[in-house]
Amino acid sequence: MAVLPILHHPDPRLRRKTPPVERFDQDLQRLIDDMFETMYAAPGVGLAANQVGVQLRLAVMDCSDEHDQPLVMINPELVMTDDPQEVEEGCLSVPDIRDKIRRYNKLRLRALDRNGQPYELEADGLMAQCIQHEIDHLDGKLYIDYLSSLKRERIRKKLQKAAVAGG
Amino acid sequence: MANPPPNLRARAALAVAGVMQGSSLDDALAAQTAALSAADAALLKAIAYGVVREHRLLETLAGSLLQKPLRNEPELQALLLCGLHQLRAMRVPPHAAVGETVAAAPALGKPWAKGLVNAVLRRYQREGEALERGLPATAAVRLSYPDWLVAAVKADWPDSWRQVLAAGNEPGPLTLRVNRRRGERASCLAELAAAGIAAEAVADAPDAVQLAAPLPVEDLPGFTAGRISVQDASAQLAADLLQAEPGQRVLDACSAPGGKAAHLLERVDGLDLLALDSDAQRLRRVDENLRRLELRAGLLAADAAKPSAWWDGRPFDRILLDAPCSGTGVIRRHPDIKWLRRESDIPRMAELQQRLLRALWPLLGPQGVLLYATCSLLRAEGEEVAAQFLATHADARELPIEAGWGEAGSTGRRIAPGGSHDGFYYARFGKTPGASGS
Ligand SMILES: [Zn+2]
Repeated sequence: MAVLPILHHPDPRLRRKTPPVERFDQDLQRLIDDMFETMYAAPGVGLAANQVGVQLRLAVMDCSDEHDQPLVMINPELVMTDDPQEVEEGCLSVPDIRDKIRRYNKLRLRALDRNGQPYELEADGLMAQCIQHEIDHLDGKLYIDYLSSLKRERIRKKLQKAAVAGG
Repeated sequence: MANPPPNLRARAALAVAGVMQGSSLDDALAAQTAALSAADAALLKAIAYGVVREHRLLETLAGSLLQKPLRNEPELQALLLCGLHQLRAMRVPPHAAVGETVAAAPALGKPWAKGLVNAVLRRYQREGEALERGLPATAAVRLSYPDWLVAAVKADWPDSWRQVLAAGNEPGPLTLRVNRRRGERASCLAELAAAGIAAEAVADAPDAVQLAAPLPVEDLPGFTAGRISVQDASAQLAADLLQAEPGQRVLDACSAPGGKAAHLLERVDGLDLLALDSDAQRLRRVDENLRRLELRAGLLAADAAKPSAWWDGRPFDRILLDAPCSGTGVIRRHPDIKWLRRESDIPRMAELQQRLLRALWPLLGPQGVLLYATCSLLRAEGEEVAAQFLATHADARELPIEAGWGEAGSTGRRIAPGGSHDGFYYARFGKTPGASGS
């Protein structure tokens, strides 16, 4: 397994809608394992494939404190959403920044597991928030898109400065 | 997605549990607030201070809410108290107080306790008033102090012990010391008023300005420029009491963090001041303070009780001995003192204070003044130390303190905590004319 580099905003590869996964082969299994390792090392609770430069509709998640509830979402869709609330959010591709946005507190997810088997899942709280965040990634969206243009501009400048300083 | 924001209630519980296991509240909070925004840190601190301040009351209340006591679960116990404190005494929406505190259980690695925390807090919401009425009526529980400290304060303040204990539960005001070298108190007040900060002069401390509401000191006009410092009004009394004159040689024997030394240097020209502290780390804070104020003093990390190791033999005109003590006079600022001190600390402290006085006395010149100070409530660390010193030193006499603050004792003067003042004790000594050294 390997920790993969995570792309940072404003990388254009974060802005493409990802195509569905069709082949459930060895390469896909290796990619999923690497994505988990990358996510745990970040540390984060979710990671989408296009954040590590792979254009596939695939994300991994684990919202548990003990790192013992890994979840693979392939070709995910939301089939129900409810109870919008304001929550604080951050993204591994927008480092060191957090802000409040609105997310559904309850939802039902339909997706495929790592073997291509379909499942449905109801989630609330942090897990529901994370599912929405990762599906946004797979649609080429970032949580900062929900912020005011003024805030977005400030974030873009800050990250550009950090990128220059970091070489 | 990045990790969710840290659960503030879980962190507050860790800070409280740290204090109950012997760490200072300052250290415990520093560890928990390092990575937080200012607003998050402020909420965490408010919870932790409140719980430490009322720990015994909250613990008794939790005991009446639990089916059976929690064993070996100090962090979970602290979390329950944090939840109760939010419901009882804080401006937090009750559903947030309950919801966030329940959510903190998994963050403490105890997901199994969510139901328990939820049940206890909801029961308090339903039955809280009756349970509060059913608590023991003793001052130790109602005002949250250890039994030994209640007994000691009762014995030493027979007429006002209840007010003294209650004052320890009221957070003290933020009090500033105006740097006379950089301006008058009136101009500082005007500057604060212009910045929209409500403040007033403290009557009996000529350089003290008290803010109506606490603020981060860095935000105050003139702090970084050294025009103001933070110091309680009681501590500001020392500079006048020492009666230092320009050019005199002054020893500040237990100097850190250096507030009193800085005040003396601000007030009196050309002092040759030696600031001593046994702790080199703490002495660095004296250095930082003096640098910010652009003041000069000799700094020495040394044990004041062993002058033979550092004294050059030249007598001092003034000696300030702000002796290590129980800190029971500043409980309103440091509520952890209630639980960190032990009854057995008091005689140990008194012995150390006596030893410091005896050791420093020979360093005082014939016309000199020695000011003894502690921020203790207890006679054992104030009046009794001073009286015993006088009784055993024929060449020492008391220089009585006439003042509008506090009350005179058989020796020295003490001031009760409350309002503008921390609890303090001062006694002043000079050499008996004609007597030879001891
Ligand atoms: Zn993200």
